[in-house]
Amino acid sequence: MEFHSKPGEYDAINYVPHTESHGTKELWKTFWLLLGITILDFVIYFIMGPSGIRNVIFILFGLVKAYYIVGAFMHMKSEKVNLALSIIVPVVFVFGLIWVMLYEGGAISKSHTNHTPETHTEVHK
Amino acid sequence: MSNHSEAAFEKQPMWAGGRSPFNVSYGKLMMWIFLLSDAFTFSSLLIQYGAQRFSNVQTAVTTKWPDPASIFNHFPFMHGLHLPLLFVSVMTFILILSSVTMVLAVEAGHRNSKKEVQRYMFYTIIGGVAFLSCQAWEWATFIHEGARLDGNFFGITKEGYDHLHSVHFGSHFEWDKAVDRTNGPVPFAALFFIVTGFHGFHVFSGVVINVVMYIMTVRGSFERRGHYEMIEKAGLYWHFVDLVWVFVFTFFYLI
Repeated sequence: MEFHSKPGEYDAINYVPHTESHGTKELWKTFWLLLGITILDFVIYFIMGPSGIRNVIFILFGLVKAYYIVGAFMHMKSEKVNLALSIIVPVVFVFGLIWVMLYEGGAISKSHTNHTPETHTEVHK
Repeated sequence: MSNHSEAAFEKQPMWAGGRSPFNVSYGKLMMWIFLLSDAFTFSSLLIQYGAQRFSNVQTAVTTKWPDPASIFNHFPFMHGLHLPLLFVSVMTFILILSSVTMVLAVEAGHRNSKKEVQRYMFYTIIGGVAFLSCQAWEWATFIHEGARLDGNFFGITKEGYDHLHSVHFGSHFEWDKAVDRTNGPVPFAALFFIVTGFHGFHVFSGVVINVVMYIMTVRGSFERRGHYEMIEKAGLYWHFVDLVWVFVFTFFYLI
């Protein structure tokens, strides 16, 4: 790596840190992992009936896949920790929006069923 | 330019100037920040899908939100067979594969191997085009089935639900449209078109970026520059497209 210590030496616009190849072994490992999880998704879809637990499994698998794509493919693991945190921590806001909007959606559904009780019939599941 | 040890670098005050606090180039940092904002855009689209799905009212006639297995059960050249999730898994596989070739191009760039970068960029472009073709087929089939932005004929009656779940994977299946189908929640098809369309547009622009990177590699622009950082930036964008697909796949097809 090249570093600059004297003032005026560092060019913020054109600065490019020197990078080195870490080989392809980890990349292929990540590929097989992603492929394996996708196949597992496919298998679970057919052996388990639709249920809340299955949905949780799918979302957890999605998050695992996201971790490996960002960590290994996008090299987030080898970036400085402060950069990784600056990018990943703001995503917390998404979880807030998920909670708020799904709560809202559920409330709309509930208010409709309360006002028209004749349509509130268990059709399946 | 002088070379110093990493330890000396770490001793410098981080935010006092004269160094990159993140030890990353300007362009790459901006790409990360763009991807963060793009992640918010996709999140809000997917959350809207979730909110619509949660607010959907179950009635005596229709079941809940349309079951994706009942709609995306087609496969090219296998007309009339019930093959849910198979085609979209193939699409996922294509995208993962093109992600790998992209990351191999980045790795070859770290070794300044022009030939390999060229080859892997070419594979990545092929993967992107293949994915877009699959998506075009998926859309065409969906529209042919009757999907429109302003309506939804994919509501399933109780009979339809029983009919669907009586057929096995890979066996022949045909809707009895008069009995099985009814009007469903209106935003279903619109959300599908908007979210997969927005993602598909990202794939398209990713392919365009990759083609530009390929041409620049062939013409030796990066070789003269001495580093292949542009490939890394294009790679970040391409992997982000793959990342979004993971969630589109999860929420539109699996759940």
